[in-house]
Amino acid sequence: MIRLFHLVWGHTLRQLLETLGWRSFLITLVINQSITPLLGLAVWSAAAPGMAITTYYVAILAVQMLTVSYEHHTLANAIYAGDISHELLRPQPVIVVTLGMNLALRIWHFLFALPVMILIILLSTVRFQPSDLLIALPALVMAMLVRFLFTYLLALAAFWTQQAHGVVGFGETLLFLLGGIAAPIALFPEAWRQLGVALPFRAMLGFPAEIAAGGLSRDQILIGFLWQLTWLIVFGLIAMRIWHMGLRRYTVVGG
Amino acid sequence: MRLFKIFGAIVSIALRRDLAFRANLVFELLMSATGIGAAIAALAVVFTQTPTLGGWRFPELIVLLGSYQLMSGLLAAFIEPNLMWFANQVRDGKLDELLLKPVPSLFMASLGSCAPLALGQSILGSGVLILGLSTLGTIPRPVDIGAWLIMLIIGIMITWASRVLIATLALWAPGLQLDVVYGALWQFGRYPVSIYPEPLRTLLSSLVPVAFVATFPAQALMHGAEQSHFITGMLLTCVATLSAGLLWQRGLRRYTSATS
Repeated sequence: MIRLFHLVWGHTLRQLLETLGWRSFLITLVINQSITPLLGLAVWSAAAPGMAITTYYVAILAVQMLTVSYEHHTLANAIYAGDISHELLRPQPVIVVTLGMNLALRIWHFLFALPVMILIILLSTVRFQPSDLLIALPALVMAMLVRFLFTYLLALAAFWTQQAHGVVGFGETLLFLLGGIAAPIALFPEAWRQLGVALPFRAMLGFPAEIAAGGLSRDQILIGFLWQLTWLIVFGLIAMRIWHMGLRRYTVVGG
Repeated sequence: MRLFKIFGAIVSIALRRDLAFRANLVFELLMSATGIGAAIAALAVVFTQTPTLGGWRFPELIVLLGSYQLMSGLLAAFIEPNLMWFANQVRDGKLDELLLKPVPSLFMASLGSCAPLALGQSILGSGVLILGLSTLGTIPRPVDIGAWLIMLIIGIMITWASRVLIATLALWAPGLQLDVVYGALWQFGRYPVSIYPEPLRTLLSSLVPVAFVATFPAQALMHGAEQSHFITGMLLTCVATLSAGLLWQRGLRRYTSATS
């Protein structure tokens, strides 16, 4: 287990430096990822003006940056190009490489988006409670894990179809709609709210932001953590199974 | 005239090629449909909290969304396949092939190939637009439809010219890849410009004319066109098209190809 952590960390550091090589492209990615939360902020500031909305959207911008997942580009493209053959031969789990890249991109996304968040906070006098942030931290870590597993799982479709990008895109659409960016889940109509709380999308994105914005009671937080744990286990098990099935299908020509 | 003929041929060939892969067509349509469905659902949630958004009612915003999807489909079908990652073409010298053809190079570079499957989005968008109009219960007068068409053409011209301008910058700075930024700015067209806070609002209807993508055409269709929008639109079209052509000529002079 400790060896695994060391491997992931090593890959993360390597990728941090490597991705810095194309930092201008990285900045365009960050702009692209921050546009939907910012649009959400604009729309909801017009629809239901108030401090709470701004606080929530600053929080969700941060969560979005720290949970971005590009496995359809990293993993799926590696499967299409046959690049994962090299990784399969190495004496380490293949997921270590994917995970390292994922973490590196998340760190850069967060750092590059930080000025935008600070700007909004300065312009709007949004204040976060340190105690809320403290509780949001474990939820954020869980969200990072769940969203990674979700995107990873969808990207594994590359073993079966040429449309892995479309499959992940579909997942991202659902995440945008039900994850808390299009609308905070607390503002959903009653029946939809209950569904939204239970679905995995809030666990990946909205939940930590809601805690950080300080709108949740103790029970709601507890239920949220339980759902996160449930989805983590579900996605983890399915991902393991699908990975093994996919590997059995994987063939590559040439050398 | 000749360019129109060539353009028709390009579209027809691409269409025949794409229709050979019917599963992709179905998949593409499904993706567009879910995207539009998600956008409508998101709007529906917003309107549970407020009767109007930036002065627009729900069905009016549906019309705007339809216009937006219509334009996005056109952009994705005809312009993006050519200019997406244009900097890469400059860097590895692929532009040579374009320059050698006996057709204006700007035409070939910006409209030389297309992805007709993306038009599915435009068709669905038009459907959404009609749906919005019918919920609104007003049938637009012929004058308004005319105004809408003109605003649409202005929008298309501005879109084309601005996309060319962004891509042409690659001839000066090949490392600069603004493609994703363009896509991100494009997203602002989803909502009426009136919801954005002030410095942004003026910016979006002048210097970065996102308002012409959907807001102004939808407005023209429902409430008749405003003269000021027409005038700024025409002006912007002229300025953008001229500077696109000029910058392209200038930029080409800097292009040195890559050795093969």
